[in-house]
Amino acid sequence: MRRGQRVRLTLSYAILIGWTAILFFPVYWLVITAFKTGVAVSTGPTYLPFVDFQPGLHAFREVFVSNREAATRPFINSTTTALSSSVVALFIGSMAGYSLARFRFAGPGSNGIAFLFLSQRMFPTAVLVIPFLLMYRDLELLDTRLGLSIAYTGFSVPFVVWVMRDFFLGLPVEVEESAMIDGCSRLGVLTRIVLPLAAPGLVAVFILIMIGAWNEYLFALVLTFSEAITVPLYLQIQTQTVMGTAWWNLAAISLVSVIPVVVAGLALERYITRGLTFGAVK
Amino acid sequence: MDQLATRAAPTAAARRRGFAITDYAWKWILLLPAVIVVAGLLIFPILMTLYVSFTDWHLFAYGRPIRFVGLDNWFKVLSDQSFRIPARNTIVFVLGSVPITYLVGLTVALALNNINVGRRFFRVFFLLPIMISPVAVSVVIGRMLFNENVGPINDILWRLGLPTVSWLSNPVMAMTSLILIDVWHHSAFMILILTAGVQSLPQDPYEAATVDGASDWQMFRYITFPLLVPISVTALLIRSLEAFKVVDIVKVVTGGGPGQATESITLAVYDMGVKGGDIAHGAVAAYSLFFIMAIASGALVLGTRHWVKKAS
Repeated sequence: MRRGQRVRLTLSYAILIGWTAILFFPVYWLVITAFKTGVAVSTGPTYLPFVDFQPGLHAFREVFVSNREAATRPFINSTTTALSSSVVALFIGSMAGYSLARFRFAGPGSNGIAFLFLSQRMFPTAVLVIPFLLMYRDLELLDTRLGLSIAYTGFSVPFVVWVMRDFFLGLPVEVEESAMIDGCSRLGVLTRIVLPLAAPGLVAVFILIMIGAWNEYLFALVLTFSEAITVPLYLQIQTQTVMGTAWWNLAAISLVSVIPVVVAGLALERYITRGLTFGAVK
Repeated sequence: MDQLATRAAPTAAARRRGFAITDYAWKWILLLPAVIVVAGLLIFPILMTLYVSFTDWHLFAYGRPIRFVGLDNWFKVLSDQSFRIPARNTIVFVLGSVPITYLVGLTVALALNNINVGRRFFRVFFLLPIMISPVAVSVVIGRMLFNENVGPINDILWRLGLPTVSWLSNPVMAMTSLILIDVWHHSAFMILILTAGVQSLPQDPYEAATVDGASDWQMFRYITFPLLVPISVTALLIRSLEAFKVVDIVKVVTGGGPGQATESITLAVYDMGVKGGDIAHGAVAAYSLFFIMAIASGALVLGTRHWVKKAS
């Protein structure tokens, strides 16, 4: 009995440490490559900084100092499109989520309408690409941050509605009712009671849609080409140019693009866990 | 509808300030923006793609009248190699990636459940891939680690005296590489969901089984796994629907090559409809992907219905 438990424990740790190593190695490789020089890459792989090769900042200098204009623009584009689309989608989507959680709907009912929102996520993004291209060409929204933000808002709203409705359903109605009996208006209830109570849910959803927009690729590929390109697209374009073999530069760009999300994500880890399990398990 | 309006009387505070938005109005004010966004940015484009698929609309043919051609595009695309090969690739990709991701997720979730020391560290660390963009993952793993000349994996294999692998230039290995990248990237989601599932398992059956002297494997086979079926189906469904849409890692790592060996349907839609301007055929390919996804998810849900019902 005791021996069986020890075997089980050892095996579990072996699995967990093994998977940690598999996850860690690419990240490690990304970090060290960003600090390598050309020689340290092209003469065959080198593994240990200070032992195998002398780390330096020249990749960052080349990307973010010598080519500052070209390299900072995608970061500005990604930040503005991800932020603005997520804020708008959070606002619009949680309003609808609240409405569906608190009011009765005839016809399909609140459940039915919520499911209609969710079902939009069933459609592959490929189905949306062509009309967006046609519409944006006529509206002159191609290669603009506004255009990309609008598209991202549309993709995020159904997810926000679905998750936030579930969240609001879990909040007690009685608090809102007693506030209204005491003479609080619906708007007052929304801003003074519902908003603070819903904050954890809002944070969770916001992080997830923000990460989604920051990492989105297909629509950036179709709708932008020079002025409004985002970081993922910029990175992919770099792999196809002369710089494509300059792994240290690619690694430097990747690293800078990944760090803000990873830092924010790890700091707010429990919100991500909650948001994802909410969306899937319920 | 009108009875609902009378139900919602204006509140005292609103009446005092001289304006009253009834609850009936609030309900629609709150819901409407989302409805408009979804209708304009999702439902309208989805219908428009369907319409485009029945016409001879071409992106670069300005001003030319658009003719309705019925099912011509559908017959042409569905019988054409430029769609059939990507369709087969996409299905192979999903059938490879999703089950492996699930097995990794289940193994890690069960292991996490067995330990106490370091549990939180592992749980948080295993979330890491979720936060890294698919393009960055593809660049690092696909282009750098799998690089056949200067990549560390082949270097390590060579140092160990093992044969090196044509990770990207061999058609079969290229698909395998893409699947491995996808597993690395999306294991986090599976681990998260299945950990939630494992933690919510009831304790009583295990106590009874221990009294009866059941082995670890028997407990897994007859208690844990059957109880995890519903959440597993949900996780598999969500993951498959995402995996069918694969495009970013394909575009970055192999560009669809060698030849057409790893081209996915979404990449074919992009190449045909956006780059080539042949939006009518692209629209058919995009809708075919939707139908493949609908059939696959229907089959998954119906095929597992029996076990799901048994668990609940």
